Amino acid sequence: MKRALPLLLALSSALAFGAMAGHDWASPGRLFSALSGDTSLQSQLLMVWRLPRVLAAALVGALLGLGGAIFQGVFRNPLAEPYLLGSSGGAAIGATIALLVPLGLPAGPALAGLSFLGAWSATWLVLAIAGLHGRPDTAGLLLAGVAIAAMLGALRSFLMLALSDDTVNLQVVLSWTLGGIQTPDMAGLALLSGLVVAALALSLRLARGLDLLGLGEEQAFAFGLDPARFVRIAVLVGAGIVAAAVAYGGLVAFVGLIAPHLARWWTGPRHAGMLPASALIGAAIVCACDGIARAVLPPAEVPLGLITALFGGPFFLLLLARRLRV
Amino acid sequence: MSGVECRSIRVEAGGKRLLDDISLAFAKGTLTGLVGPNGAGKSTLLRVLAGYHRADAGHVLWQGRDLADWSAAERGAAGGYLPQQLEPAWNYSIEEVVTLGASRSTAPRPTAELLAEHGLSDLAARRWNALSGGERARTMLAATVAPRPGIILADEPGASLDIRHRLDLAHRLRALAETAVVVVIMHDLDLAARFCDRIVLLDAGRVVADAAAEAVISDPELERVFNIRLQRQALERDRDWVIGLSA
Repeated sequence: MKRALPLLLALSSALAFGAMAGHDWASPGRLFSALSGDTSLQSQLLMVWRLPRVLAAALVGALLGLGGAIFQGVFRNPLAEPYLLGSSGGAAIGATIALLVPLGLPAGPALAGLSFLGAWSATWLVLAIAGLHGRPDTAGLLLAGVAIAAMLGALRSFLMLALSDDTVNLQVVLSWTLGGIQTPDMAGLALLSGLVVAALALSLRLARGLDLLGLGEEQAFAFGLDPARFVRIAVLVGAGIVAAAVAYGGLVAFVGLIAPHLARWWTGPRHAGMLPASALIGAAIVCACDGIARAVLPPAEVPLGLITALFGGPFFLLLLARRLRV
Repeated sequence: MSGVECRSIRVEAGGKRLLDDISLAFAKGTLTGLVGPNGAGKSTLLRVLAGYHRADAGHVLWQGRDLADWSAAERGAAGGYLPQQLEPAWNYSIEEVVTLGASRSTAPRPTAELLAEHGLSDLAARRWNALSGGERARTMLAATVAPRPGIILADEPGASLDIRHRLDLAHRLRALAETAVVVVIMHDLDLAARFCDRIVLLDAGRVVADAAAEAVISDPELERVFNIRLQRQALERDRDWVIGLSA
């Protein structure tokens, strides 16, 4: 609990910053009066537009933090990212189809459903290829994931070129693939909250298995885990979480890498503590970056994925350099 | 039946037969040493006995029941398999590793008690990267035997230990063999001769000798298999004498 407090404080600060930031900055005083029931237009705009968006950013960040932590645990590699497994790429294909093909379905559910479907099938494909010759090992999974992710990226670009015409706005798809939180309505926010709670509960059920897997596949087996079965389940849970994050926030890079890293540094490697910490850190990062995205080039909005990549890229390189040195 | 048994085990890889028709039974109260030159198939056999490597033919039975019928959790609680290599992805502390080992029991023993039992209390918070080979080996042994498994299969647990710690380990394995089936791969023939009750000598995937330790040590097959000449000297069993040194 002592370790959770600073994380909660960081998240609260990020939420407050997110609520204030924008092309029209809100002072703490204005924020406070809006929260205490003020009915002025400015307060209503804050309550109806900005706060749901800030909360959605935090929730998407929590999903990215959890998804990243699960993938790093499964791959036993601190440099692993959900993107490496093709999950994000698969989700992005599904979402691109939902955005560009007139399917006659309601836009929200189609986007969410196809993102899920894309992430799950891409992950299955990676697992199937990696497991062609018996037990899927980590290197095989990573290589299969990289190859699939590259192919899916090319396919997505092709679909965008082939399917866009005057009736669909390529700009929308493009800005979505660069990452960006949409302002949800109350029902959307409730659904997203439910997804985060479910994701956290499922992740925590994986905690012991991820701990054991961290000892190595053979040692995990020795301590009573069926590694092949566990990896299959954990990857699917991770893919589901990543798909939900992609459906709500587009392709947001590096949060799934940074959040688990900081969480492990803060709580130690045991996943029962590290998973919730990663969710909190991911929430704080996306919340703060979303605030920056809204405030840095007013009145335009910079894609969220650009901000996270700008901060996350150097972080990744730093980790890589440290890892190469030892 | 409270032992480990394998029947007609055959393992092939890349067209090569790694284990060829191996049938062995191990009982409680006996410390068995698996010896043989590099590539003889010792580690493969141990992995098959542990269930980690599925044999191409044959069966493994734990307590009379086919190992394929055991759930992973049951297997983890009843068995203590100690692989040769351990490279944790995360920098766990000794306490965390021992807790994880103990967690496979339905009623895990308190970690503090386990750490004290293995003389690791003072090092509890020390992280993996900062441990010596000996400390790592002691940690893994503590974690492996934490739920008091009835079956212990260890792949060269003494490999990275100095002679003092190797002797300590041998005494521990002897003590464990009082209440469990213990099968250990050993490269140190001297220790195997003095601490094991039984030695199984493997060569090129086959059992070439399987008898009481003294009998195998005096078997000329041993010299042929290792392509060495041995000078044998009788020493009291279970004592901490070191042989093979000359001034």
